[in-house]
Amino acid sequence: MPPSIHPVDLITALRQKHLTPAIVFLTSRRACDDAMETFDHADLLLPPARQEAIDVALERITVQHPSIAEHPLIPIVRRIGIAAHHAGHLPSWKIAIEELMRQGHLDAVFATTTLAAGVDFPARTVVITQSSIRKSRDFTDLTIGEVQQISGRAGRRGKDHVGFAIVTPSPYIDLAVLTKGLTGQPEAINSQFTISYPMVLNLLKAHPHEQIQGILAKSFAQFQLNQRAELLEQKLDAVHVQMEPFGPRVCTDWITQWHTFDHARRHRHTRHQTHRSESPEISARLPFLTPGRVVGLGKGRGIVLRQYRSKGQKNSMLTLLRPDSAVTECPVTSVKEVYDRTYDCTETPTYPWCSTETFDRLSHQLAELPSHLPVLPILVPLGFEPLPDAIIQSLGDFPCPTCPSRPACQKDFTTASRLRQEQQRHTKSIQALRTSLWHRFQERVEVLQKFGYLTPATQLTIDGEWARLIRIDHSLLITELIRAEAFSGADPSLLAGVLASLAHDDDRPGAFPRISPGLSSLLGQVRKLAESLSPYEDPPLLRADVAALVERWVSDPALTWIGLCRLTTMAEGDIYRLLARTLEFLSQVQALKSTHPGLAESASQAITLIRRGVLEELP
Amino acid sequence: MTTDELEQLLAQQPVALLHRLARGRVHRHFRAGKRRLIELLLQHSSQNRAGLESDLETLIGERHSPLGSGSPHIHRAPAITPKKASPRGAEPESAETAVSLSAWLEGLGVPSPQPFVPDPWQNEALSALNEADVVISVPTGSGKTYVAVEAARRAMEDNRTVIYTSPLKALSNTKYTEFSRIFGPDTVGILTGDRQENGQAPLLIMTTEILRNLLYDAASGEIDVRLDTLGLVILDESQYLADPERGVVWEETIIFCPSQARLLLLSASIGNPQDIADWLTSIRSTVCRLVRHSKRTVPLRAGYLHPNGKLTPLFKTLGIPYGHPSHLHPEAKRLFLEYEEETLPTGRPRR
Repeated sequence: MPPSIHPVDLITALRQKHLTPAIVFLTSRRACDDAMETFDHADLLLPPARQEAIDVALERITVQHPSIAEHPLIPIVRRIGIAAHHAGHLPSWKIAIEELMRQGHLDAVFATTTLAAGVDFPARTVVITQSSIRKSRDFTDLTIGEVQQISGRAGRRGKDHVGFAIVTPSPYIDLAVLTKGLTGQPEAINSQFTISYPMVLNLLKAHPHEQIQGILAKSFAQFQLNQRAELLEQKLDAVHVQMEPFGPRVCTDWITQWHTFDHARRHRHTRHQTHRSESPEISARLPFLTPGRVVGLGKGRGIVLRQYRSKGQKNSMLTLLRPDSAVTECPVTSVKEVYDRTYDCTETPTYPWCSTETFDRLSHQLAELPSHLPVLPILVPLGFEPLPDAIIQSLGDFPCPTCPSRPACQKDFTTASRLRQEQQRHTKSIQALRTSLWHRFQERVEVLQKFGYLTPATQLTIDGEWARLIRIDHSLLITELIRAEAFSGADPSLLAGVLASLAHDDDRPGAFPRISPGLSSLLGQVRKLAESLSPYEDPPLLRADVAALVERWVSDPALTWIGLCRLTTMAEGDIYRLLARTLEFLSQVQALKSTHPGLAESASQAITLIRRGVLEELP
Repeated sequence: MTTDELEQLLAQQPVALLHRLARGRVHRHFRAGKRRLIELLLQHSSQNRAGLESDLETLIGERHSPLGSGSPHIHRAPAITPKKASPRGAEPESAETAVSLSAWLEGLGVPSPQPFVPDPWQNEALSALNEADVVISVPTGSGKTYVAVEAARRAMEDNRTVIYTSPLKALSNTKYTEFSRIFGPDTVGILTGDRQENGQAPLLIMTTEILRNLLYDAASGEIDVRLDTLGLVILDESQYLADPERGVVWEETIIFCPSQARLLLLSASIGNPQDIADWLTSIRSTVCRLVRHSKRTVPLRAGYLHPNGKLTPLFKTLGIPYGHPSHLHPEAKRLFLEYEEETLPTGRPRR
């Protein structure tokens, strides 16, 4: 059995059950195109009457949008009444398919999920073949809202009694995601409020700095933050109630009082060493007293065989190999010198704590040691911090030892201090939730002041006045480029090329035409600046291929759309979107007429040059 | 259905039906009396309203079908209901039996053309718009456009200008064509990034970004006179508020929308429309009313198509069993398990 149903079989099955027209949602553009290819030789012809109807409708649309006339999919659309519709197509093609679908000429459209969120495009049936979609390089499960957007396309008002959503499996489908999506409630939506540089400039242009906190407080973001803060406030209230029995006692702030007292008491404790521990000098030595180490004792030398702890002894103990193969035990304190000499020692877990060969060898080596050995320099760390005597001495001043409520304090302290920590944590979080937007705004203000768009008194500078008109992504980079006069003297094609590389945020690879040296050096400059700005603004992709492509389109008026498409492996629809985005960026630059007349002129020339062929045909 | 209506409806039902409804929803429901049971069900309905309502309707329908009530033995017997032409039509109504394919496919076809009658929620939204901002959250294809058109018409009859925004240029263009057909080409204008036509018309269609820019320019003193006469701002596809890149534009637009203009937010079904309405109420001078429902105009049925071409219903019930994702049709379940066994490499855990 094939891993998923063959497109031809799918259409046959749908037609048989009268479930057409249908939209088939596939994972990728590629899948849509592949599905269309399988119909090349399919024997699913429409009756001639319907074929003619499609012809007539297509002709009518072609008058408006001549660019679809030569579309390679037209023969299949005409013969079989199916089409593909995805972001890789030109908008005119998508409009044509939507129109054909609306008029009821098509039986099925293969589409990607982007269609679900876009145009009004209903059918009797939707076919779902996947449970996840690609979102920025990664596949994520469809949300309930997305599944309902998709299934929402099923059932045309006034044309169908019922709509059908049909699931057909493909590898890696998760049926649970889809059944949950079909039967569940859509997810709550969350604010995606971000504070951009142009937003800060525009706000400060229209409102004094003091008023802006109030404006930010009006955002849905703050509304949702407040909701969270209110939840925390409820918790805080609950904590307050729990705290009530731990109110003021003999002293008002008994928790802090007890905390200090208890701390000091414990601290004092460490002074009387009742438990076993070494002095700093000894403990610094310990790591060096490993098996094989030569040490000097009060009388003669020895080689360490093992180091151990013994119950009755205050200090760590050593087992030593003494001259004449004697094995003795002694505390580390009796070691007078640690020499800079070690021998290999194969340890064993039982007496004599090393293998017989090692034992023989070590006895031999111990006997042959020279009379003078270098002493190992061991750094002794400064001892413990001297105890804060003030606290120790003031222990006597604490009221606690003789206080009548001492037993109660001692008993309640753990609970009370936990509650108080909770209380402090909540208070802090609430504070943060209430002011985070304002802090983010202030951060942006500081950056803009640093770059000289705002005066220290948060007034717009001359540069700020025009910079606020650039209301697109990467606005800081663009305004900095303009200030660095990177575009001065650049002709329209270079300007368009650079803006295209700033505007394009898709990472689908594409082959590209040769890039001109002028554009290449300009892009290098842009890249350098973008890197230096990266702490303040995410750098753009700055793809050279799209820049070169747009440069060619602008600089060579004889270049046809087909010719442009041949220069790259990008899909038609992507090229179109690239040019449209570039136009958007150019029109923002064009708005700087009054301050940068040369640049604006260059931008408006680029706009005229871009808008030809397919781009002019569409509204 | 409002909560009050639901409460009344529940109160009218026999207690046995309520217990059946409470099964799986309310812990130890058999301990509760009728009043307590209604209370608990209403409490539960806050979690899954749609599921509760659809189950309630199914149960009521079952009770009213002549043979189905009370006697489980007759459940499988063919019952004739006025709605269904086929004698097997009543079968899918029962919760225990899985729906058959033929019943599932029934009702296919084109309804006879009917005169357009606005739905109650559409009227509700329009009348609410007289004194309040309105947020509409309804499933795709319920007829939000009708509300937009009527609201625009009323505002223009008042000599007020109207701005209609959509997130996509393509949608703006479609709406431009559509509105031009309805109101006449002179009354409608369009402003998008690269298209400006009829910019002085009383009904302007634009992308939300353009409106945001207009509002910023107006706020900074470059007053656009038209904002004074602005009577209505319609934001279509408002669920874009949650778009990671562009959502902020919707917030800015709503924050800076002039206070004398009414706001009409049209959105697909979302989980927290009440939050949006509360937010609008909290920041604007007028209150904001929420109009929502989750019932689709054209009912939906879900199916499962096996790669070998076999089609079965996906769920046991005829419609979508809201709130019960596990009510799968046994045949669909079997086929899918078979599919998973064949396609997943052995030894790999199921996703």
